[in-house]
Amino acid sequence: MGAYIVRRVLWAILLLLVVSFLTFVIFNVFPSADPAALRAGRNATPALVEQIRRNLGLDKPFYTQYWYYLKGLVEHFNLGYSYYNSESVKSEIFSRLPATISVTVGGFIVWMLIGIPVGIVSAIKPRSILDRVMMGGSLVAISAPVYFLGLVSLFLFAKGTGQLQWFGAAGSYVPISQNPGTWFDSLILPWLTLSAAFAAFYARMTRGNLIETMHEDYIRTARAKGLRESRVITKHGLRAALTPIVTMAGMDIGLLLGGAILTEIVFNIPGVGRYAYLAITNSDLPAIQGTVLFGAFFIVFANLFVDILYAFLDPRVTYG
Amino acid sequence: MRRRTAVVVTMVAGALALVAAGCGGGGKSSNGVQGANHTLAQSGGKKGGTITVLSEGDIDHLDPGAAYYQFTYAITYVTQRPLLAYKPNSIQPVPDLAASMPTVSKDGKTVTVHIRHGIKFSPPVNRAVTSADVKYAIERGFDAAVGNGYAGAYFGVIQGAPTNIGNTVPSISGIQTPDKYTIVFKLSKPSGIFVSALQEPLTAPVPAEYARKFDKGKSSSYGDHQVATGPYMVQNNAAGKITGYTPGRQIVLVRNPNWNPKTSWRPAYADKIVFKEGFDPTVGAKQILNGQADVNGDFPPPAATMKQILSNSSQKSQLEFTPTAGSRFVALNTQKPPFNNKYVRMAVAYVLDRNSMRLTRGGAIDGKIATHFIDPSFGSHGFNQAGGYGFNPFPSPNNSGDVAKAEAMLKKAGFKSGKYSGPQVTQVADNSPPGSNTAAVVANSMEKIGFKVKTISVQHSAMYTRFCGVPKNAPNICPNVGWLADFHEPQADLDANFNGKNILPANNVNWSQLNDPKINALMEKAKVELNPEKRWAEWGQIDKMITESAAAIPWIWENGPTLYSTKVTHASELWNGGEPDVSFMSVK
Amino acid sequence: MALLEIEDLHVSFKTIDGVVRAVEGVSLSLDARKTLGVVGESGSGKSVTAQTILGLTRFPNATISGRIMFDGHDLLTMSTEHLRDVRGARIAMIFQDPLSSLHPFFKVGHQIVEAIRVHEDVPRDLAKKRTIEALRSVGIPSPDERFESFPHEMSGGMRQRAMIAMALALRPDILIADEPTTALDVTVQAQVLELIQALRDDFGTAVILITHDLGVVAQMADDVMVMYAGRVLEQAPRDTLFTEPEHPYTWGLLQSIPRLDAPRTDRLSPIAGSPPSLINVPRGCTFHPRCPYAPPPAFETEPPLEPSQPGHLVRCHLPIEERRRLWLALQKEHPVLQS
Repeated sequence: MGAYIVRRVLWAILLLLVVSFLTFVIFNVFPSADPAALRAGRNATPALVEQIRRNLGLDKPFYTQYWYYLKGLVEHFNLGYSYYNSESVKSEIFSRLPATISVTVGGFIVWMLIGIPVGIVSAIKPRSILDRVMMGGSLVAISAPVYFLGLVSLFLFAKGTGQLQWFGAAGSYVPISQNPGTWFDSLILPWLTLSAAFAAFYARMTRGNLIETMHEDYIRTARAKGLRESRVITKHGLRAALTPIVTMAGMDIGLLLGGAILTEIVFNIPGVGRYAYLAITNSDLPAIQGTVLFGAFFIVFANLFVDILYAFLDPRVTYG
Repeated sequence: MRRRTAVVVTMVAGALALVAAGCGGGGKSSNGVQGANHTLAQSGGKKGGTITVLSEGDIDHLDPGAAYYQFTYAITYVTQRPLLAYKPNSIQPVPDLAASMPTVSKDGKTVTVHIRHGIKFSPPVNRAVTSADVKYAIERGFDAAVGNGYAGAYFGVIQGAPTNIGNTVPSISGIQTPDKYTIVFKLSKPSGIFVSALQEPLTAPVPAEYARKFDKGKSSSYGDHQVATGPYMVQNNAAGKITGYTPGRQIVLVRNPNWNPKTSWRPAYADKIVFKEGFDPTVGAKQILNGQADVNGDFPPPAATMKQILSNSSQKSQLEFTPTAGSRFVALNTQKPPFNNKYVRMAVAYVLDRNSMRLTRGGAIDGKIATHFIDPSFGSHGFNQAGGYGFNPFPSPNNSGDVAKAEAMLKKAGFKSGKYSGPQVTQVADNSPPGSNTAAVVANSMEKIGFKVKTISVQHSAMYTRFCGVPKNAPNICPNVGWLADFHEPQADLDANFNGKNILPANNVNWSQLNDPKINALMEKAKVELNPEKRWAEWGQIDKMITESAAAIPWIWENGPTLYSTKVTHASELWNGGEPDVSFMSVK
Repeated sequence: MALLEIEDLHVSFKTIDGVVRAVEGVSLSLDARKTLGVVGESGSGKSVTAQTILGLTRFPNATISGRIMFDGHDLLTMSTEHLRDVRGARIAMIFQDPLSSLHPFFKVGHQIVEAIRVHEDVPRDLAKKRTIEALRSVGIPSPDERFESFPHEMSGGMRQRAMIAMALALRPDILIADEPTTALDVTVQAQVLELIQALRDDFGTAVILITHDLGVVAQMADDVMVMYAGRVLEQAPRDTLFTEPEHPYTWGLLQSIPRLDAPRTDRLSPIAGSPPSLINVPRGCTFHPRCPYAPPPAFETEPPLEPSQPGHLVRCHLPIEERRRLWLALQKEHPVLQS
């Protein structure tokens, strides 16, 4: 197991290198804006544009730029400086991290807390009215785009803009350290919005998996032993039905991060997602690079974590 | 040109692109758009309270020497005092830091400005402002570390202004300070717009002894330590470090304790101004309507929201429209076939369905259909001289294009059938709406007269900086370009875009690459004309000639919509595309 | 009085394709210490009958009627809650595929402990001790190590032994073994059967042995029931069934008993053709489409299950003399049937 983890971590690092290189290549090969010209402005003299190009290091060949970038990253864990406002990308990302963690971790919890119980309830009484209502609702939630859902939730339930003034409005986010109550209130709608599609999808998946599992021979064995039906479901059924779901959820963290970008935009939460969005609209390569690496880091290590977790969850799996 | 609205042009320093909002009928409504008339309370407002401004994106730069974006100017002008500035409902600069309007010598080469006594920098500098502070402020505009986007264009005419830009603040011999309250500009040649340019924030004083340490290196950090001269200042700490600005989050303005109301015409009613950033336009508009916030900063409310507001008699008066001092146009590359042929260009000018193009941006509510370049907000500053609303060399029924006239032009160009039969043409367009939709309408219109149009879709900023702004990569057609004048002098509207001398190998804004010796000569003449009436008349004539050349086809003069809550009085900046002037607004 | 008595059991399931009539009027009785062999092809209703005894077919789409009397109570009408006391404790069951029948994520020992503790209020360590004893008694080597094993870490034979250990840990009155050896290879098969036999002898457990293999029945059963399309076609004491079988289907089954001199087949196909769909059962005698001897009435009406002699029930239209004549002729033709 130890050797396996070391090997996987090395692969993960290599993968991150490849991702960063590809980002660099994509930015340089495909048509994106010229950062020096953007920074200088459209009325700027050619001399100013060229000096800014030199200041940003953009006059060097792109492999040299990449080499300097890597060097800074490896030697000083330096993610470079924004072309747009010269801020350190690392500190920008880190200062936004608490907001993004609040959104995604909370979203993940809501996703699991809604998706799995709904799936279980539906699976216990398949084709019942409750099942049909919940599965029908989940179809709607899956098909609704996050941005649209966010706007609708604001116009229905947010203080100020909503029909029912229940939860925090767009832009009401404050760090948890500042005021936990406001923090929580401001995140209720973002959490629900972000997790809606995931929860719905996982409810359907939980339902399907559990129904399938309940037809397994070992479930019949459990019943034949005389176990209470509730125990058959919660212990024997869920243990098998949820294992693949938990591990899949780990892999879907990447998608959740994608959804977090939109959630942060619509609810005006100052997180890494917003930063990524601004980085792209600004053609701000260091910021794009930083946020891509950040996202890739989480996805790669979430996958690694899930693979290791799987070995604990499913005794049939071993890593050597 | 300064930038309007956040998202379309992306937030880059001084990348003065034309952006999402725009101009229309100068707050009036000749095209069915009904909004409130501009009303302005210059006195008698209630003191105190907080005004909350919402924005979608961030400002470009806090540093007044680098700021070059309409939304940023809404902050810069209430915290900094340039030599000249505007009252909200005017396009005519008036003295601000200056004690009176500048005097220009007969030969036009010496401009003298006296500055007011009794103006002090905010803490921690706390000393009186002198002419040397203005000199330093303009000099640092030629430092790449500050990265000012217009210093070369407007102040390059000062004797000794550097043409090579480095990472240091140069000393410019042509800016002289004979005494503490007098500043003299020696120009290498007369300039018809130099005085107007003194309203740019670059002329707002910067204390050299305090700022120099922040201006060192490749990127100045003066913005994060700036001091103010206006009625408000960005909140800072005792050491001068800015604490009121969280990028992408909010900007807090508080009263500048060293501001003396007797030296200023700004009423500055509110005690505090909070700019909250990051709002989706739909959500932001809704929050303003229900009073959670007071006014929009950088985003126009979505067209659908505006239509709803206008159809609601109790909300209608909350929405004001201001022209944005610019136009959107379709640029045709005059250096390459087929658009090196004037008649082919004119055929395109006739056939474009400008009405459908406008629909891609929300229809009449977005602005009036443009028939030439200088927009209606210029009024007597060139718009009227260009023929006003009456000048339209390529008319068509309902502005929907005239195929017959277009075919007649193609016949003149040698296409006997009246249909274009040459090789396919290429356009580089936005890859997202509304620009991508506009480009599709352009292609459809042109196909009616035989063109085959290949569209390359890229990000808006890449369209400018990699294709349309780089002549060697320039396509036949740039359908998504536009320009906002920095101030209401027609030179600021037309020179960069259409003077053949301004074709640059990179960062080019003469997207048509128009190089007509006659037009060039007229422009050079108009640029040194010091008599405003003559100057504006000359530029009006130039506007007509450019429009008739069909090197570029203007299609919309956009509205800048400003939405106010019911809790505040209105003050839309006519000179600044409708940005709110928070120093004139008051909390009711 | 019999330990278990089933009367006129009917089980059907509503499905999208139609109603599956899985069991149609099965009756049987089982005495203590006896082994009843239930034989038939796949889909003959033998497994459904067995599972219905423990209420394992109580699905929302199932319709069940008849009576299953055990210990003075009707298991069919008993609440699931009460039935749980019977399950595992009084009537235990083992299944065909021990790999899929054991939960893959739990240790084998734990699964047996769970079975004990659900019925008896014993502390965990005592239950563990009993489990290890049970594992030892079914011949699993080093049972305390095996207690900690997961199912996938055991061989097929070992897993089935573990299943038997679980089934017998609570000394049930009846063990239902549903194809207990089908998934195992021949040598292990014999060991497992011996084990069941030994346990029956040691604990006095009655056994219902469900199989498609008459060879297994010949070795183990006291009485034999032959099922087809949800119905009993013939029922008799073992010796009677093997020496004087009267139903043509039974003859077919007998012909297909694996012999040491013939290749072993996993699935029986004793007679040409395949069993009928339980949704569209043929009119008349359900077996008539595959029966070479079917007399005309078999095409129209289903024959009743009638005694041809005491303790020997047959469901066939052929006259008794005719049956005996045909059987003798068959034996002459295939000497191998004279066992």
